Amino acid sequence: MAFALYLSFYSWDFIGPMKFVGLENYVKAFREIWRGINGAPPFFAPFFVGMRNIFLYTAVVVPVQTILAIILAVLANQRIKGVTFFKVSYFLPSVTCSVIVSLIFVWLFQKNGLINYLISRVIPGFSPNWLMDDRYALWAIMLVAIWGTSGNLMVSFLAALQAIPNELYEAAIIDGAGVIRRFFNITLPLLKPMIAYAVVLGTIGCLQMFDLSFVMTGGGPAYATYTMALDIYNTAFINLDPGLASAKAWILFALTFVITYFVQKKYGTLRA
Amino acid sequence: MYGNYLKLLAKLGLYLMLTFIALIYLMPFIRSLVASFMTWEQASKIPPEWIPNPFTLRAFNRIFALKLFPRWFLNTALVAVATVLSNIMFCSMAGFAFARLRFPARDLLFSLLLSLMMIPAFVTIVPNYVILYKLGLIDNLVGVILINAVSVNGVYLMRQYFLSLPQELFDAAKIDGCSNIKAFFYVALPLAKPAIGALSVYQFLGAWNAFLGPLVILKSPENFTLPVGLTYAFHRQWYVEYSPIIAGSLIAAAPTILMFVIFNKYLIRGITLTAGRG
Repeated sequence: MAFALYLSFYSWDFIGPMKFVGLENYVKAFREIWRGINGAPPFFAPFFVGMRNIFLYTAVVVPVQTILAIILAVLANQRIKGVTFFKVSYFLPSVTCSVIVSLIFVWLFQKNGLINYLISRVIPGFSPNWLMDDRYALWAIMLVAIWGTSGNLMVSFLAALQAIPNELYEAAIIDGAGVIRRFFNITLPLLKPMIAYAVVLGTIGCLQMFDLSFVMTGGGPAYATYTMALDIYNTAFINLDPGLASAKAWILFALTFVITYFVQKKYGTLRA
Repeated sequence: MYGNYLKLLAKLGLYLMLTFIALIYLMPFIRSLVASFMTWEQASKIPPEWIPNPFTLRAFNRIFALKLFPRWFLNTALVAVATVLSNIMFCSMAGFAFARLRFPARDLLFSLLLSLMMIPAFVTIVPNYVILYKLGLIDNLVGVILINAVSVNGVYLMRQYFLSLPQELFDAAKIDGCSNIKAFFYVALPLAKPAIGALSVYQFLGAWNAFLGPLVILKSPENFTLPVGLTYAFHRQWYVEYSPIIAGSLIAAAPTILMFVIFNKYLIRGITLTAGRG
């Protein structure tokens, strides 16, 4: 931890002597962002491209997976036979290694793969080459991420749902509230702390997205799925510049912290 | 009368919906399971076929023809088991100390520890790499085990569990002349079986599925773990056909899936214990 901060002030290539360079690494990182804002091609501003992609990715994935998780939890919270089977099947993707999930989805997303086949039954003629097309690659990865994490969040929501006292619902039924009103006026407000928790955790996870991009596309095509985490990895272990990589990692952390801080401020604080 | 019919209809609708969603979630698994027993020509047919004909083990044969694959499996198993054992030992001790012992700056230390949970892996991976480099543990499985030897989440889980045990037990132990160490081994640990179960399942899954750490630390193919190895094989395009990769993925996922199906109660309880407090 402290070593990471220390490292970010040095210029070093893992082997030679370390040289103190003060804030130079941060200046470099911010200059890269600045170049990107001014419209430099991705090759000269990979960190900025990663940032732009990951913001879009987070903005789509977090709300969708949270809403989906709530719906799943409400459905799976019914007292009916065989509900354990459904819970297990929704949760299964999140215990499977993300690399394995990616490898399977690479195959499903092929031009003549299963996903295009299923889509073509609904929208005829629409069969993009998902992972090779820079317009669709990021969306494909979002889909995998949502599929993979919503089950995990569902379990958290299930726990929160089961903590809601039954008397509240009984009282509401006596007052003549229907299913939908009971959901919006009792369930949702009482789930609010849990929603804040899911959004914060989801945001932290999304901003650091690495393995899906690394395995499925390697950040391509044309930097369409490049992420900040991927750039930190490349800076440290391909370009062998651990100092700059640490500076970038701290910027990523600062961003994560600021965003989650505002989410918490708006939707209530977490109790650790 | 009508009310009963309506109830039945609602139940039927609910089942249909649950089944439909379950199909979406299970589809990739079912599809790859079926396809791994097919010839590659059949697996890539459009519209897709669902019954392997002819039934063949070619994909599995080809992935096991790779001498490295069993090696990767063993590496992964070794890392996972070692990680679980060291986590059980260190997390339960640390959790016990934070929950039951009094020492200066305990609460300050604990909140510092909790704030570590917020730090992304990418901030720590470079320094961890440098430390392992100085220790000479790069390209060594011990390095992979070491960076995950204690998890903050695990310490937190154990502390919460130990806090939930009644204080009287420990008072009684003290009156009977137990030292703290004895109280830990003879009172706390035997009572902590459910928490240790949850911890083990978590750490096993985490270590088995870990990617970034092994990817950075391991350099030579014979030291790879399964996720790193399969990615490597896929990126190097060792196979023209994709089915061996799918078969390999299924074998790699099998232990975690089995473990989850058997222990899903523990796992879900663990989430409730740490996360469900919302």
